Amino acid sequence: MNREKIFLTVNEIFREIFDDPELSVTDKTDANDIEDWDSLEQINLLVAMEKKFLIKFSVDDVENLQNVGETVDLIIRKIEEKGDEQL
Amino acid sequence: MNSYSYEELSVGTTETFEVEVTDEMLRAFCEMSGDVNPLHTDADFAKSRGFDSKVVYGMLTSSFYSTLVGVYLPGERCILQEISIKFRKPVYVGDVIRVTGRVIEKTDFVKRVVIKAFAENQTGVKVNTATISVGL
Repeated sequence: MNREKIFLTVNEIFREIFDDPELSVTDKTDANDIEDWDSLEQINLLVAMEKKFLIKFSVDDVENLQNVGETVDLIIRKIEEKGDEQL
Repeated sequence: MNSYSYEELSVGTTETFEVEVTDEMLRAFCEMSGDVNPLHTDADFAKSRGFDSKVVYGMLTSSFYSTLVGVYLPGERCILQEISIKFRKPVYVGDVIRVTGRVIEKTDFVKRVVIKAFAENQTGVKVNTATISVGL
């Protein structure tokens, strides 16, 4: 799965969590750009991403995430790590 | 009061308790919430709507889910994050409600558990069901 596909899937997760089918995020989108994006919704987003991409985050992975782009990069890294473990 | 830690909980951990719904609870909830809808305060009106008697507020019986997570599962360390409830059957004064919750999911990095819960009356009929997310 390439970055573009992952990004589109992440955007779908944002739409679902914030119940907004029109929502479009960018790499630079952060919690200041979405009114309801608080700590609880951050948990909901990350849990949804874990389930969707079949990955596991750690506290260290997620505590300093700044925006959507960093989150997508983290997902890519976790998918790659998972692939390495399976080799 | 229970005090499960996140680590002590497993998928499948289950807790149950019972509570009888009284008319005093109904009156107290009416006063507290301001919901004076006659479905909950006037037996004749409730019967005219096809119910056996005054219907206990759905939000009153669902308040027992607060007890479930705050006192039993996980108990003392609970932070209630989300709850989704379906109201399936009416509850009446005098019903004895048995509330059961079971852990169905754990998310380690945020120490969150998801609990499937249900409340059934003294005849075993499920009156409502819930999905509850709590942090520890």
